[in-house]
Amino acid sequence: MKAGTVRTWVWIHKWSSLVSMLFLLMLCVTGLPLIFKEEVEHWLDPHPPLASVAAGTPRPTTESMVARALAARPAGHVVPYTFYPADAPNVMTVTTAVTSNPSLDGTWEGLHFQVFDVRSGRLLADERESKSGLMYVMYRLHADMFGGLAGTLFIGAMGLLLFVAVISGVILYAPFMRRFDFGVVRRNRGPRILWLDLHNLMGIVTMAWLAVVGLTGVINSLNLPLTMLWQSTDIAEMTAPYRHAPPLKNRVPLDAAVAVARVEAQGMRLASVGFPGRDLASPHHYMVLFTGQSSLTARLLKPVLVDAATGKVTEARDMPWYMTALLVSQPLHFGNYGGLPFKIIWALLDVVTIIVLASGLYLRIVRRRQDRPATAQAEPMIMEPAE
Amino acid sequence: MKHSDLWRQWGWPIGLAALTVFGLLSALLGEGGIWWWLSWLTLATPLLAIVHHAHRSRRAIIKQ
Repeated sequence: MKAGTVRTWVWIHKWSSLVSMLFLLMLCVTGLPLIFKEEVEHWLDPHPPLASVAAGTPRPTTESMVARALAARPAGHVVPYTFYPADAPNVMTVTTAVTSNPSLDGTWEGLHFQVFDVRSGRLLADERESKSGLMYVMYRLHADMFGGLAGTLFIGAMGLLLFVAVISGVILYAPFMRRFDFGVVRRNRGPRILWLDLHNLMGIVTMAWLAVVGLTGVINSLNLPLTMLWQSTDIAEMTAPYRHAPPLKNRVPLDAAVAVARVEAQGMRLASVGFPGRDLASPHHYMVLFTGQSSLTARLLKPVLVDAATGKVTEARDMPWYMTALLVSQPLHFGNYGGLPFKIIWALLDVVTIIVLASGLYLRIVRRRQDRPATAQAEPMIMEPAE
Repeated sequence: MKHSDLWRQWGWPIGLAALTVFGLLSALLGEGGIWWWLSWLTLATPLLAIVHHAHRSRRAIIKQ
């Protein structure tokens, strides 16, 4: 590699990491407890197993539970969506709020969850949106720094810089490590050389993981824009004939909408239903979402649009590729698949990333101190182990 | 750069990256069981490489 090319890549590596350093450290630290979010939540709030229901108990309609959920809330509140957790087959959560959609700054006034046992209609839990607690603060810092869409996009940009830092670091590994065996760690040459070797070793062995977590994080940060794109193209197209239809007076019951949608999604699991008025549905439609049963397809969604006035399926068009990419990016960023040992390894890789970032910053600081009287020509040697 | 030099420098990094990608996918695509075990083993290899080399250098110092 030519000296000039090396200098360019050093510059890219230096600035991509320096600019994003503090945010990346924050993301690594807040991401650490989030890996174990499910375990911590279960530990703080253990859900007892569902009580058994006597055989022959008449099954109430889910619509009756929606009506009870609304009645329990102040007048004027609406149901944006219901959802059905994968790990609790007989449970339905009815969401209520002041509006059908959150505002762009990420807040959603009056958001409330009521959890029902669908076999008996028994109310299992009645919870407000949690806006406090360690996990909530960690999540908000990690996802948007309490800044709504702008915060999320900013964090996405930091993720992009991390990806650039990884790529430039890998490219620089070749010229700077040419004379050394893989894994060299020189302990007898002072702290700078020791931390340089550790930075290079830890960075290069985790390059694939870091690139995947960084890039999938960037894709996740585009959640809202991608969803809005889907809504303004495919969904708008499917619901176009309804654009001038009179406002919906009475919607068909939830049970009927789910039953007719299920025909389009044989053998799949009901995941969520967006009610009319929800952005992802339309003022005239239910959006019924199903997932597959296999490890991978359980992550993907099959949408079915149901006319809320007639109870007939309008269309069941598969999600566009970018929505599929978004859904696949989620587990690859969160590390919440593959069991507890997987999460522990994920956490350790996160700790290694913190060490790579901190040692990079340390090397930059000591180098700067040593370089102060030197000229700009010293810059290309910045990472070169003095031999 | 000679072919053997290239392999000497990049053999381990590329091998570990391949194991990492395998580990990420086998937990995502596999239905638990053996696929999860393979995922844990392969995803842990970069960590083992760090521990091995950090430990080896410590032993080398003690020998001196």
